[in-house]
Amino acid sequence: MSEMKEMIVNVVEKIFKDKVDKEKVDVVEEGKWAEDVWQVLQDNEMLAVAVSEENGGAGGDLDDLLNLYRLIGKYAVPIPFVETTFANVLLEKTGLNVTQEKATYAVEEQLNVSIDNGTVSGTIVNVPWARYVDELVVVAAGTSGLELVQVSLKDAAISPNMNLACEPRDTVTLVHAPVQQQTKITNEQLEYFIALESAAKSAAMSGAIDKAYELTVRYTKEREQFGRPIHRFQLVQQHLANLAGEAVITSSAIDNMIASIAQKCLQNEVAYTRIRIEEAAKIVAASAHQVHAAIGVTHEHSLHQYTRRLWSWREEGAGEAYWTKQLANRLMEVEDDSLWGYLTRTEKVFQL
Amino acid sequence: MFSLPTVQFTDEQEQFRLEVRAFLQEHLAKGTFKTKCDSWLSGSDPAFSKLIGEQGWIGLTWPKKYGGQERSTIDRYILTEEFLAVGAPVAAHWFADRQTGPLLMRFGTEEQREFFLPKIVKGECYFGIGLSEPNSGSDLASVKTRAEKVDGGWIINGSKTWTSNAHDAHYAVTLIRTEPLGEKKHDGLSQLIIDLHAEGVTIVPIKYLTGEHHFNEVFFDNVFVPDNMVVGTLGNGWKQGLAELAFERSGPERILSTFPLLDELIAGLKRQGDAAGMKEASKVLSRLWGLRNLSIGVAKVLEEGGEVAIPAALVKSIGTKFEQSIPEITRLLVRTYPRLEAERRIDRFMAESTLHAPGFTIRGGTSEVLYGMVAKGVVGQ
Ligand SMILES: Cc1cc2nc3c(=O)[nH]c(=O)nc-3n(C[C@H](O)[C@H](O)[C@H](O)COP(=O)(O)OP(=O)(O)OC[C@H]3O[C@@H](n4cnc5c(N)ncnc54)[C@H](O)[C@@H]3O)c2cc1C
Repeated sequence: MSEMKEMIVNVVEKIFKDKVDKEKVDVVEEGKWAEDVWQVLQDNEMLAVAVSEENGGAGGDLDDLLNLYRLIGKYAVPIPFVETTFANVLLEKTGLNVTQEKATYAVEEQLNVSIDNGTVSGTIVNVPWARYVDELVVVAAGTSGLELVQVSLKDAAISPNMNLACEPRDTVTLVHAPVQQQTKITNEQLEYFIALESAAKSAAMSGAIDKAYELTVRYTKEREQFGRPIHRFQLVQQHLANLAGEAVITSSAIDNMIASIAQKCLQNEVAYTRIRIEEAAKIVAASAHQVHAAIGVTHEHSLHQYTRRLWSWREEGAGEAYWTKQLANRLMEVEDDSLWGYLTRTEKVFQL
Repeated sequence: MFSLPTVQFTDEQEQFRLEVRAFLQEHLAKGTFKTKCDSWLSGSDPAFSKLIGEQGWIGLTWPKKYGGQERSTIDRYILTEEFLAVGAPVAAHWFADRQTGPLLMRFGTEEQREFFLPKIVKGECYFGIGLSEPNSGSDLASVKTRAEKVDGGWIINGSKTWTSNAHDAHYAVTLIRTEPLGEKKHDGLSQLIIDLHAEGVTIVPIKYLTGEHHFNEVFFDNVFVPDNMVVGTLGNGWKQGLAELAFERSGPERILSTFPLLDELIAGLKRQGDAAGMKEASKVLSRLWGLRNLSIGVAKVLEEGGEVAIPAALVKSIGTKFEQSIPEITRLLVRTYPRLEAERRIDRFMAESTLHAPGFTIRGGTSEVLYGMVAKGVVGQ
């Protein structure tokens, strides 16, 4: 990371440390809106980090944004930061105007949304934060192929729902909602957006993994049983070693994935990262809870704010099932006896 | 190694299983209850417990003079399996049926048996388990809650924590220091039955990570407990408690807490005609079978009064890991979106299983502590 990028990450981390504590996350999970967190990010121009300067943004890159997404997981930040910034990435990458409003998105294969005569119709489930935001960027099927469209959520019926972490995941129903802006996209573009979105979720998950690891290390120093801190027991040490391994593999996977994305070329980094992080999430959540024992399954403790996010986020967007299918197809094309060649190839196959 | 008996069910037992199953299916259809994962600990429903009591299905193995049916341990095993397989809400009477009854039968006075057992059998009297304290979890023998002798009884001061369902329970069997802590921390501990509605008892809810009210902190401020509520021998509480553990650790509830999810997974794969997924899922059945053999074998030995502490610890440590694996296996075979309020059963069972899974390998003694016991046991053999 360049110094500039490190500075951005540090500033934001400091904001989250100050503004987002356990109680704040609790309150939002009960259905309130954290205006102060939103406001401070807006004031610091963090909402436009990845938007180019000519479009009124801060001129950062996707890699800055992905690094910030790690912090969203690490502090369980309860506002639609990922959603708004990612919606703007979609808009900007397709040449549409970025929005200054709070926004969310729905990019998936087989979305049941259609566009016809300047209006959009369809029902989309699990739209993050829909009830709190103004704009929705969504992939719709047009008469001659896919379109990326922006609609106002004022023109939608929203029924609230949530994921395991009590984050808003709403059902949005559009009935001839007027299009704000639209543009054609190719199937390849959609695949690329799906990959980026998956990368974003991986980054957020890695932050939650980091935090679960940190909390666990700290707890083993504080908690005593049989007259000694529990980190002295070998079976607890085994948990700590496993957690450390998962945390470092996760974090370096994300670093490598972000580096590839920054170079605008990818091989299978997004796929490998996501598959590996889902595995790490399982191991880390289980071990962190096991070491915390009873105190860790109480609502009063903060551990669950990270583990419930891991259990939720791993089911969102393109996950293991999607990527193993892609990988399998690619591996079917590998010439006989050349797996090693395939793995060590430096030529990147997908240009972004 | 340990050898455990194999159990062949008799025709009468098969018949009994079908009878229980038909009853539960009927009530499921009627909406008396809703299938839930982890229902034996988190599904407390006093009305349902009373219904089960009316059937004669609480205290099934106990003597008739206390309201029991004098049926075999294997019959009880069958009954319990059927409850768990449909995720019936049996938590309210669970501890009284599984632990308190057998404890009183073994160590209790005739007066205690006559007073408590008939009420338990009716599904009207529930018990909590008051062992853990804030600073005494795995190191249970370090408990500090103490009793001072007074005329006709004891005065209790201190607190217990993580007491599951104390808010629905009438009494708790507690592990209390009746002599000041001496050289050996395992000495001077006694088992006392405390009336949870007595003066000086305060029950403070502890919210589970889902926000649900599951367990509690129970405070004792000069609570009077009469002499006749001491169970067994004064100062022998540790040993008596250990005897309970084999019952506590080896039952089908250490294998089947997430069975409703497995059931739904197999049904889903079948509907989708997903042969490859079914092939993966089929491996799970062989693990389940292996564990069930062990668990039933332990039940059989327990009935005959044999020693099974080590195999019981193995059922719990391997079984609870198995239960935890079901949501992890499911999510890789079918697409689910876990949500506690979901309409799709598989999504709801995924949510219940995932959110409750961390507790499986903690409650009733952590896996780490059990591994230590097993290792000591096999080395000592
Ligand atoms: C859902 C649930 C319901 C419960 N219900 C009840 C109830 O009704 N009544 C009741 O009395 N209690 C209940 N408990 C408490 C339970 O018995 C304790 O949580 C358990 O004994 C562990 O104690 P602890 O939580 O204090 O963890 P600790 O003992 O502090 O353990 C923390 C970690 O250190 C490890 N550790 C500790 N000592 C050692 C060692 N010597 N070697 C290796 N590792 C070690 C543990 O395995 C664990 O990973 C419940 C717990 C849960 C989660």
